[in-house]
Amino acid sequence: MNRATSPRHWRILASSAVVLGLALTGCTNPGEQDQAAAPSGDGGGDGQVVKESSGEDCTLEDYGAEKLDLANAVVGFSQSEPDTAAFRAAETKSIREAADAAGVERLLVTNANNELPKQIADIQNMLSQGAEFLIVAPVNSDGLDPALDAAKQKGVPVLTIDRKVTNTHCEDYVAFLGSDFYEQGRRAADAMNEATGGEAKVAILLGSSGNNVTDDRNSGFKEQVAAEYPGLEIVAEQTANFARDEGQSVAEQLLQSNPDITAIYAHNDEMALGAVTAVQAAGKQPGTDVKIVSIDGTRNAVQAIVDGNINAVIESNPRFGPLAFETAEKFFAGEAIPEDVIIEDDEYNQDNAEAELGNAF
Amino acid sequence: MTATTAAPEHLPGSGRARLARLAQRQGALVILVAAVLVSTFVFDSFGTAGNLTNIALQASFLAVVALGMTFVIMSGGIDLSVGSVFALGGVLAAWGAQHGTWAALLVPLTVCGAIGLVQGLVIARGGLPPFIVTLAGLLFARGLLLLISDEGATTYKVPAGSAFRELAQGGFLGIGYPIWIVLAAFAAGGLVLHRTSYGSTVLAVGGQEDAADLMGLPVARTKLVTYTMSGVLAGFGGLLMASYTSSGVTVLGVGMELEVISAVVLGGTLLTGGAGTVLGSLVGVLLLQVIRNVINQVGSLNSNWQAVISGTILLIVVTVQRWLATVERR
Repeated sequence: MNRATSPRHWRILASSAVVLGLALTGCTNPGEQDQAAAPSGDGGGDGQVVKESSGEDCTLEDYGAEKLDLANAVVGFSQSEPDTAAFRAAETKSIREAADAAGVERLLVTNANNELPKQIADIQNMLSQGAEFLIVAPVNSDGLDPALDAAKQKGVPVLTIDRKVTNTHCEDYVAFLGSDFYEQGRRAADAMNEATGGEAKVAILLGSSGNNVTDDRNSGFKEQVAAEYPGLEIVAEQTANFARDEGQSVAEQLLQSNPDITAIYAHNDEMALGAVTAVQAAGKQPGTDVKIVSIDGTRNAVQAIVDGNINAVIESNPRFGPLAFETAEKFFAGEAIPEDVIIEDDEYNQDNAEAELGNAF
Repeated sequence: MTATTAAPEHLPGSGRARLARLAQRQGALVILVAAVLVSTFVFDSFGTAGNLTNIALQASFLAVVALGMTFVIMSGGIDLSVGSVFALGGVLAAWGAQHGTWAALLVPLTVCGAIGLVQGLVIARGGLPPFIVTLAGLLFARGLLLLISDEGATTYKVPAGSAFRELAQGGFLGIGYPIWIVLAAFAAGGLVLHRTSYGSTVLAVGGQEDAADLMGLPVARTKLVTYTMSGVLAGFGGLLMASYTSSGVTVLGVGMELEVISAVVLGGTLLTGGAGTVLGSLVGVLLLQVIRNVINQVGSLNSNWQAVISGTILLIVVTVQRWLATVERR
């Protein structure tokens, strides 16, 4: 009668899994996570500066949209990932504040919780609520076609931020505002060289696989090292999925199997903070015995620089609000907008971390 | 056999028990109708034709998968692989679309059906618990997806002008094809459940598997068909999504199995098997979609309220189901 009793167990398991799973949906995302860092409520006025623009220009006329006064407009913002990630929280907050400053009549904000179908639904939903201009942080580079088509049909221009879509520029979207992740990787290599004095055995904590952020931050770093810093030897690389706990456990394993590791490059701050704990657990001093460099610029990581546990952090600025609304105003005023608007990212290191802590997110 | 199956309302029973059964079956429908009516009055943009067809269209992908899951759960099983199989189906369809519309349709249905068939074989013939077998299927399908998409880095695009795009982007009488497909599929599902011996066997197996076996019902074959169909339908849902988004998106379907299971349970199908309705699952899917839409309409609400509200309603429904079951027995 085993057969009669054993299904009971998994049925109970299944039902609890369903209830739990529903409550937790959205917490399992492969993007950048920051469960612990409190989104900054104050300060942090580090606005974005455009570094370079490239690609073909797009004007209101080319796009076939009508002139719009943002001050009396309904604007929609579709966020991709949950605001539990500090990056996302700072991004959403920045859009809200910039919308206030621009005096828009109504700002609609949705969060796709990292689900593409939900983002499509969110965007269509905002369109049916009368959104006249859309700012979209895409969940994925491909597959937003139905949402972008719906916007096109209604003559609503779309501005994409932080992740680029593969659709047709100036037909499906106005422009892309974002960081150059490849450049971030190169600058991380420069910072690593600076921190280690040019000689180190480096372990890399990779972000989630199949993600352009991971790919670019990794190849940028490696190519810069190969070109400029022969003394930096990459001895190991393992994925830790942008998560702090995985950063810690992976770093522990790497340090155990490779005790001569003298530096760690993490693709984001969360994994770097995990690595700090792992280095301490191995009886070494993070920041001194094992140099740590990462990318993002979260408050916790910049504080760790102040405390001497992390050596440098390359910023990935999430505050798209002012630049997004400025770009929109220019666009509706008839100015040409280039396809790619790449922003300037700062760097935090032991020289400026204390003074710049307020700019971290 | 009929005692556990087709039309329990014809059975003798106290008025109270009948009411309990009705509440169990139509509870979600009452909540759905109430939610739609209230939202139409409160939010100007909710009741518009555009918004309502959007809700229906967006619900259709989940609905297709929920149809297969309904039969699985009614048979006393569970299928955790549907989210991964859904994503795999989409990637295979977009890949297949490079080689023609037939490839876009047949490749995902064949592969996903095969995954379902193997799961069904292991469950039916091997006697292993569906929870574990389909958990393995979940991992297998997701792994296969990552293998053929270069760890998720390659997204296959459906070529512009491919007839495959029409499947989910086109429509008839202003209503998208996926909605028609869902209506047809659920009508067929209802007929299969109530008018075929397969349908009654599913319920019998879910109610009392040992008894069904003793009665000489084809228990193993029924499970085999059920899991195969669940695989085919999950793959078909993914295929529709690939047509809709014109691409084989690799990040889809994570956690989708839980959403599907909760829609089916909301619709009044007992998680313990043996009872349920096909239409209820459609109502459950729509209810989840309406909750999501309403939270966007409010605008100022954090989107995580959707999960909180859906979770709460689900918990209530499951608790009420349990309570109604004891009322019925009295």
